Amino acid sequence: MRLLRRLLRELNSGYKVDESKVIRINDQYFALDAEPGSPPERKSLVYAGTYLGRDRRVFEPSAILLGLLSKEQEARKVNVNRETAWLFVCGRDIFQENILSVEGGLSLGSYYLVIFDGWCLGYGRYETVWNSKMIRNYYNIGDFLHREGSTT
Amino acid sequence: MMGLSRGREFFLGRYRMLGRDLTGDESTPQAIRVNPLKIRDAELLEIMSSVGVGLEKLPFLDHGYRVTSSGFSLGSTIEYLLGLYSLQEAASQLPVQALQPGPGDAALDMCSAPGGKTTQMAAYMGNRGSLYAVDSSRERLYAVENNLERCGVTNCLVYHGDAAEIELGRVFQKILLDAPCSGNYVTDPLWFDKRTMRDVEANAERQRRLMSRAMELLEPGGKLLYSTCSLEPEENELNVQWLLENHDAELCPVESPGLPGLTDVFGVELDPSLSRCMRLWPDDAGAQGFFVAKVVKG
Repeated sequence: MRLLRRLLRELNSGYKVDESKVIRINDQYFALDAEPGSPPERKSLVYAGTYLGRDRRVFEPSAILLGLLSKEQEARKVNVNRETAWLFVCGRDIFQENILSVEGGLSLGSYYLVIFDGWCLGYGRYETVWNSKMIRNYYNIGDFLHREGSTT
Repeated sequence: MMGLSRGREFFLGRYRMLGRDLTGDESTPQAIRVNPLKIRDAELLEIMSSVGVGLEKLPFLDHGYRVTSSGFSLGSTIEYLLGLYSLQEAASQLPVQALQPGPGDAALDMCSAPGGKTTQMAAYMGNRGSLYAVDSSRERLYAVENNLERCGVTNCLVYHGDAAEIELGRVFQKILLDAPCSGNYVTDPLWFDKRTMRDVEANAERQRRLMSRAMELLEPGGKLLYSTCSLEPEENELNVQWLLENHDAELCPVESPGLPGLTDVFGVELDPSLSRCMRLWPDDAGAQGFFVAKVVKG
């Protein structure tokens, strides 16, 4: 939970995690709301309710959590077009000139959700690299392709 | 049925005896299912059209579309990664559509991996109620987890275990048993080379164990949807006949394309209510073969 709370702070998110409803399975966190409710059987449970993400070196948010955060007004966001969106989900960083618009103001060292057409693709940090300002790619939904490749 | 119980001619001969003259070269076009948890069909069609993907509504499916043109893989688009649609063969969209789990139901997907039908169940339930999913392969459950996350499913509990034995501490109103089966040659080019009647019989026996467990996990009046993508009657009509003979259950009609279930299998007469099942042969409706039976527990 410490890493999750840190990510929420970094994204300037007001999203409230009700810790009494969070369960941990290995390094993964899940929020259990009224539906589906508390599992009557915990043994051999591998996934439960709303998947929030997992502890890695930093917290790796789920696509579901990213979607929830992107609906919040206060969270910092950058909007991009389809071409930039595709490069981002392929793991590329986003040069400042390819950002269509910003919500929350750009400031170096801050974290931003990357939004395409209203959908959240991941997040990154606004940094200077080799004299260029860019959103460094921290996590994106292209991860599904890596995961599919490693489990099929 | 003497001689080597395997091979192309052997199986095509069986299908001829069941009244279907197949070539063994039938194929199924790629299909997708729109995810109504995330987007309306019309919106997705507009987006996909704008990037050059042609889709045609499959008239017998609620959210299913045949892919008519695409210059790239539909399994790696931004829209796919966002969970706006799933790649799901047309016939395999029928079982959940026939089961119709609804918001507020307690539903179970007994053999969940890789999770396409589980996400479809969640969509019918509108992410409401309790959806349980079980699979015996931990490796394949990773695919289920990825699909649930990608499609935005939040009402599901997933368990690792053998569905024929697992204890879940509750009963259900709707159960999907899309049973592990021998498959068919439409989706597996090597099918004729590797399948034997011994496989079919072993699968049929395993399916009966799963059916029995499903009946235990179903509340009285609850509905079991049994399906396979096998064309073999041992895994389909004969197993459902066994279920009717050994459990307090009766069949409900299944509304979908295809033909009624067989009531005469190689000269053996079955319960006439087997005609309430649905049998889709590979040359029907532009889809792979499938069998669907909807059972209500007494």
